[in-house]
Amino acid sequence: MLEIVIQAVINGLLIGGIYALVSIGVTLIFGVVKIVNFAQGEFVMIGMYISFFLATQFGIDPIVSLIVSMPVLFIIGVLVQHFLIRRVLGLNDLPQIFLTFALSLLILNLALMLLTANYRTVHTWYSDEAFHVGGLYIPFAKLIAFVLAMLLSGMLWVFLHTTDLGKAMRAASQNRDVAQLMGINPNRVFAVALGIALALAGAAGSLLMPFYPAYPMVGQVFVLMAFVAVVLGTLGNVIGALVASLLMGIAESLGIQFIGADSGLIVVFLLLLTTLAVRPSGLAGGRRR
Amino acid sequence: MNKGKGRISSKLLRRRDFLTKATGGVVAAAAFGAVPLRGWAADPVNIGGLYPVTGSMAQIGQGCVAAAKLAVEMVNEAGGIKSLGGAKLNLILSDVQSDTTVTRTETDRLISGNKLSAVHGCFASALTLIASEVAERAKVPIITGSSSDMLNKGRTYTFTPFARASQFAKAQLQMAKLVGDSPKVAVIFENTAFGTSTSNGLKELAPAEGVEIVMFEPYSAGFTDASPLINKVKASGANALFSVSYLNDLILIVRTVKQVGLNVAINGGSGGFVIPDFYKNVGKLAEGLQGVAHWNHDMSDDAQKVNAEYKKRTGEFLFEYAGGLVAQTFMLADALERAASADPQKVRDALSALDVSKGYAAMAPGGKVKFGPDGKNIYGRPVGVQWQNGDLASIFPKEDARAPLMKS
Repeated sequence: MLEIVIQAVINGLLIGGIYALVSIGVTLIFGVVKIVNFAQGEFVMIGMYISFFLATQFGIDPIVSLIVSMPVLFIIGVLVQHFLIRRVLGLNDLPQIFLTFALSLLILNLALMLLTANYRTVHTWYSDEAFHVGGLYIPFAKLIAFVLAMLLSGMLWVFLHTTDLGKAMRAASQNRDVAQLMGINPNRVFAVALGIALALAGAAGSLLMPFYPAYPMVGQVFVLMAFVAVVLGTLGNVIGALVASLLMGIAESLGIQFIGADSGLIVVFLLLLTTLAVRPSGLAGGRRR
Repeated sequence: MNKGKGRISSKLLRRRDFLTKATGGVVAAAAFGAVPLRGWAADPVNIGGLYPVTGSMAQIGQGCVAAAKLAVEMVNEAGGIKSLGGAKLNLILSDVQSDTTVTRTETDRLISGNKLSAVHGCFASALTLIASEVAERAKVPIITGSSSDMLNKGRTYTFTPFARASQFAKAQLQMAKLVGDSPKVAVIFENTAFGTSTSNGLKELAPAEGVEIVMFEPYSAGFTDASPLINKVKASGANALFSVSYLNDLILIVRTVKQVGLNVAINGGSGGFVIPDFYKNVGKLAEGLQGVAHWNHDMSDDAQKVNAEYKKRTGEFLFEYAGGLVAQTFMLADALERAASADPQKVRDALSALDVSKGYAAMAPGGKVKFGPDGKNIYGRPVGVQWQNGDLASIFPKEDARAPLMKS
């Protein structure tokens, strides 16, 4: 019995790492630029296809192809900010919502047209292998993904807390007007925030590729969990999103194990609702707002 | 369409209309090598084909279209419909976009916009049910490989030459006994109409077949991780796993079973499990996995011949829906031949009297096709298949087996 519980927690923790990469991107964009990026899942999908093509055309391991997918998506992020999001900032919320929503639909349908709805899988030597310890098992691919996801999140935290640009980003997220008065160029900060957020989505895509099939709708699967994690972990809070993602992964896994295999989302949303009832601004929500 | 112009211009319009048509006709005749001069050529017989070639079901739909074209070519090259003066079959395709609403409008458009003798489509049951409703109302016969038992209720223009969903469940249970004498089966199924109806069929028939179901678990399709579910299967002590799943989930399930190191015989059912794409995604892990199909390319010499040609064109083996579709086209040709008419009503009557046991039209498990009053092939039965060396081999029942069972 204990073994089953531990295994369920391990499973949840490992998938929670992937949720974290997606949700940190969403929460970063929301915190800094104050818009909700509905297209985040589609950028995960792009990251997956980049890794897929590098793997099938050039034999590059999907994990290694992080070094391509992250910069490519960083640049896409900067371009999206510069040519699209910048134009609708300062207007009311609706154009911003429709912009990222339209972007999501556009990318999704372009992918359906150009790449077809087929599933694409990459097999690496570690794809279907696992460590077996006692009665427990830890799949290689997911462990690698989890470790790298935690590493990237840690690097982001260090960046936000030690570098000037990182501090400027946090300043802009706390109070945009005051930050501007202090000589921070918001457009530059926003572009970097978008770039980093999309690079994280790209990383999630590459890390998923060894154990999850790519297809045009794949982003939708992960983005729902990411949005829940963002709210659960307090909007705009990076550490909050990380912790919430891991908690959700574990809750989902335990729910499937002990309640029913179709209860995963029920458990996750119950967790969200009860948290919001007790702490209306999420797990990390202090008295700040 | 010219309501707004009033009466005065109607004559003028008629003249203009005449001129456009006449010129168009001349231009067309010139462009296509003066077709009207060849007065002896019989009018082609129009056959409609409804398949999703875009959207989420596009994978299988595109294979169906390739097979439908191949089948029509085969009929035409063999001399067309002789009783109609060697009339050629003319396939008119329509994309139903994996969407039920589009299926309704497209079927309507296809039937009302063309003089069709018959229709075939759409492979997915949800779409076929709608297309068949529209065809019934328009009194145009529809022939389909779709397995839903609903297609055999209260319909007179719908013909289903292959095994029904209810027969699939029975075959799957019987196959469980190939692996061991006392199979303990875990049934996991996605929790919408497709999964629940199929799994309930399994549950109902299990006691009569002497199969014990130790786990019966719905899950929500499109999960991010199959590990918790497989963890549960492991705890149930099952030695066989029936998964009623869409392709995406099935890929994750098969890979996770391997990671866990769980020793269960997996039966993946039909649909997404028996198409080349499954093997492409799962690779060697697919070896030895079992499923059920309404058609398989190793059934007969005829089937293998068609398979070779299809493989040459597409690079992949002829999967169940596409293969069944070639047989269906020949059934239509047989009916047209006997009807000696392109009239849809006469074609329907000829189809209902169809009785074949040789040739391409008889490519079905059992090798015989004859429709009962409900449009069901009275000889219809599914075939049990197994992935062997990247190919699907028929292994069950004994009379349809073309390869020995591979024990894993």
